[in-house]
Amino acid sequence: MATEEPDINDGLTLVSYVAEDGVCQPHQGYGWQPVNVVNRQAWQEVENAIARSREMVDAGIVSCLHYYMTANQMTPSLLARYANRPGWLVRLHLRPFFFRRTSRASLARYAELFGISVEDLTAGRLRSPVYQRERHG
Amino acid sequence: MANLCPEAFPHRQSAHCESGVVSNLLRREGVEVSEAMAFGIGRGLFFGYLPFIRLNGLPLVTYRSVAGRIIRHFSKFPGISLQQKTFRDRRRAMVELDEALAAGRPVGLQTGVFWLPYFPRALRFHFNAHNLVVYGKAGEDYLISDPVFPAPVRCPAPDLERARFAAGALAPRGKMYWFQITDELFSPRLHIRAALDGVCRAMLGSPFPLIGVRGMRFLAGRLVRWPERLGHQRTILHLGHIVRMQEEIGTGGGGFRFMFSSFLRESAELLADRQLRAGAERMMQAGDEWRGFAAMAARICKERTRPGDSCLALAASLRSCAAQEEAIFWELSRWCREGR
Repeated sequence: MATEEPDINDGLTLVSYVAEDGVCQPHQGYGWQPVNVVNRQAWQEVENAIARSREMVDAGIVSCLHYYMTANQMTPSLLARYANRPGWLVRLHLRPFFFRRTSRASLARYAELFGISVEDLTAGRLRSPVYQRERHG
Repeated sequence: MANLCPEAFPHRQSAHCESGVVSNLLRREGVEVSEAMAFGIGRGLFFGYLPFIRLNGLPLVTYRSVAGRIIRHFSKFPGISLQQKTFRDRRRAMVELDEALAAGRPVGLQTGVFWLPYFPRALRFHFNAHNLVVYGKAGEDYLISDPVFPAPVRCPAPDLERARFAAGALAPRGKMYWFQITDELFSPRLHIRAALDGVCRAMLGSPFPLIGVRGMRFLAGRLVRWPERLGHQRTILHLGHIVRMQEEIGTGGGGFRFMFSSFLRESAELLADRQLRAGAERMMQAGDEWRGFAAMAARICKERTRPGDSCLALAASLRSCAAQEEAIFWELSRWCREGR
């Protein structure tokens, strides 16, 4: 993972206002070093959470839905709103016992949301989050 | 990128999405308003520390007014009318978007950034108050002028639909808007004084201790106690979060203070006013102080501290920002009253 790169915006040039010749002007650049530091820090947090979730899935403490939720930076309530399911049901689905009993319809919703197949979910395959798949032009 | 028909929409990259969209949409209608001017007369500048609102478990710090405020202020100006729609039905929302495009009318959309595939990975958080302009359709792809990108981009229809109906805080509900110019004589210079007055009141006159200059001082007081209250690890996360809100894309740097300085300078030229020019210069110095604050906070986050870097020093820097801005806004509010 390219976390050690100085610029984590995939080479996107952004505009910021900088003081030049005593006046503030828009200026195109690759981002300011401190910003990249704190951005990387935030992503490190996300990646730590994903790693923790992976371990818990492997240990059988939570279902693979927990991994997909964490990897896509969601909370149970946000996931519930996206999947159009009540929050308590989503929280149950995060447990392996209830996840094995999830209805086909719910599984289809989750799969569509995360861009994976229902079989990925039932087989417990952990695929990369939405934002790491191929980028369109 | 091929056939994006850039001549169809006057795209100009900007630092902040909302002021950028307003500026670009108005330019399409033949009214020249720069991004900084849009930010200024839209009363974009603000400060608030709202620890009871949590983002990923971290307190909300905002350096600008709430999302959608700039657009709303513009809709109140005589000579400009704003048409705005939100939707319940996703299909209806996309159909109306297609109809607007077929009629040759570019529209602004509020979207979430998480679902937009053209965004770099690093910026794809669940943030739902992003603004962009859709100006055309090619096959199944929409042609988008996203103000924070250097050039127009394409986005597949299903992704755009999902982004328009992102869930969570500030859910856009497919919001779509466009401006109509009803008076050819609209000029931003008529609104500078009222806008400045509004910003000054928000920054100085709030009865709540978490808002404006008082909010900065409040945050400074809190910040000093973070190491003992939260422990080292959480303190670092909190500091990083403050800096991200301040310097992350869309702010133009210095927590919007540089952009506001640019607005003051432009106003000074429009109104040929010396006092505003001085205000612009001092606002720029305040922005520099903010940047110094961010740089020190980032050094602490990275544990590459220089001598003198500590939470105490950070708080002192923040208080100095507050003092500078307080002086500036008092000066400006006096200017506003004099001119009436």
